[in-house]
Amino acid sequence: MAKHRGRGFSAIEYPTGMNQGGDPSQAWIKMKPDGRVDVFAGTVDIGQGSKTVHTQIVADTLGVPYDWVTMDNSNTDSSPLCTGTFASRGTFIGGNAVAVAAERVRERLLEIAARELEIDPSDLEVSDGEVRAKGAPDRKLGVGDVAAAATWTHGELITGSGAWMKPYSAPDPDTGECDPHAAISYAACVADVEVDDETGEVRVLKLIQVYDVGHAINPTLVEGQIEGGAMMGLGLGLLEATYPYYPALDHRGDQFGSYLAPSTKDLPEFDNVILEYPSSEGPFGAKAIGEMANNAQPAAICSAIYDAVGVWVTECPATPERVLRALERRSEPRREGKRIVFDEDLSVRSVSATGGEGFLAVDG
Amino acid sequence: MSLIINGAEYELASPPLTSLLNVLREEVGLLSPKAGCQQGGCGTCTVLIDGEPRRACLTPLGAIEGAAITTVEGLGDPRNLSPVQAAFHEHYAAQCGFCTPGMMMAATGLLARRPDATRDDVLEALAGHFCRCTGYVKIVDAVLSAAAGRVDTTRPEPEAEPGEPSVVIPGSPA
Ligand code: FES
Ligand code: FES
Repeated sequence: MAKHRGRGFSAIEYPTGMNQGGDPSQAWIKMKPDGRVDVFAGTVDIGQGSKTVHTQIVADTLGVPYDWVTMDNSNTDSSPLCTGTFASRGTFIGGNAVAVAAERVRERLLEIAARELEIDPSDLEVSDGEVRAKGAPDRKLGVGDVAAAATWTHGELITGSGAWMKPYSAPDPDTGECDPHAAISYAACVADVEVDDETGEVRVLKLIQVYDVGHAINPTLVEGQIEGGAMMGLGLGLLEATYPYYPALDHRGDQFGSYLAPSTKDLPEFDNVILEYPSSEGPFGAKAIGEMANNAQPAAICSAIYDAVGVWVTECPATPERVLRALERRSEPRREGKRIVFDEDLSVRSVSATGGEGFLAVDG
Repeated sequence: MSLIINGAEYELASPPLTSLLNVLREEVGLLSPKAGCQQGGCGTCTVLIDGEPRRACLTPLGAIEGAAITTVEGLGDPRNLSPVQAAFHEHYAAQCGFCTPGMMMAATGLLARRPDATRDDVLEALAGHFCRCTGYVKIVDAVLSAAAGRVDTTRPEPEAEPGEPSVVIPGSPA
């Protein structure tokens, strides 16, 4: 009886902006008379940081400092529609919506600035809160001055609205071909585990994770998603079962003592890498990171368990009980140094002349 | 019943079997301790009772007559944070924020006991506190940086807004 170490890996792809249609986000932006920017958008920030990311997208698209931009997504009456914070769509679809709206506000801003500076709008650019003539940077006007001129001189409002939606793409009835999603994120995860073959307990020692997010608009927030997702994935892989006695609900875990979630004591060592292969349709090349962040770990953990003790746990979470049952079922004859694994479930019987009879359990 | 809460003395009307969590939230109006599970399992209701991190949801008022209670409201103010608050801010150690008050109080209690806390001390002290968002990584990093004294606790006044327009526009009230 001993502890065994093993390493496993998994790779996933995760789509965002699916082909079903009917999943838009909308945004409306207006500029105050002093140049500050109010963004009305429906995307709800549940802690993942969409407000921060959308503020960055608007500030960068518009060419004003981050601090001038206020996101108002306080209520569904004043905010344009967003179907919701789900399916990893906040940065991609919500972000595209605010980017489209900000682009239009920028056009309006340059139109007014053009009148003030008597320069064609196409010869103007805006950054760091200033509108400048291309090639003649001292011919400039603060964004606040342009907004004031719009308000008090021209009697106009600098505003813009926008929306983004992946259009419906019908699958071809013969081939199934369609345009299935707007972008695909990729990830790979390596898990190092230690399996106790006496107790069945599995500990994750290290997770090496690589995520291609297109463009990390806010790398710290992306890290937050990757780290948080990793611990959720570890929970799905080892601990968390919604209904331990499914389908009977009577004994399901209804408190933290019976529904186990990872704690600081389960923290593995992390080695996380962010890759940036930009998408053509996302804001600033961004793709999705939210939900995919907890998909890869359970599979990587289960293959690491196989590497450690030679049994596949095919149902998650890989609880001590499931690991021990798998170990019990293990049959592992060795012939001339080659290991042949007999797995009742996978039915090697059909290719065995003896109907599997010769494969006796060998105590590991 | 009386308590000293964040340095001020309170005479309380709640019956002695009321949980400290309900006293703080309902009677005193301090909303930083969260009602997560109210079973002692999640840790987000944690406050300091005479300097020790304790679950307010499991503590009846009658058991702590006269005790000194500290909540997040008693740690610092927005321009002058406590080291733990500043470290959480710096390290982006909160996402939804629901676990944060309990994490901060547990960390504050730990650092008062053990100012040079090691990583294992931190993992131990926070083990009874669930966080479903951050994966604990940035929280642990934050507490360790507070332990090492590597945090600036002052926060600047917010950046100036765009300011007065530099040209006076006819008709503008400016
Ligand atoms: S509310 Fe007290 S431990 Fe969860
Ligand atoms: S930040 Fe959401 S639970 Fe910890």
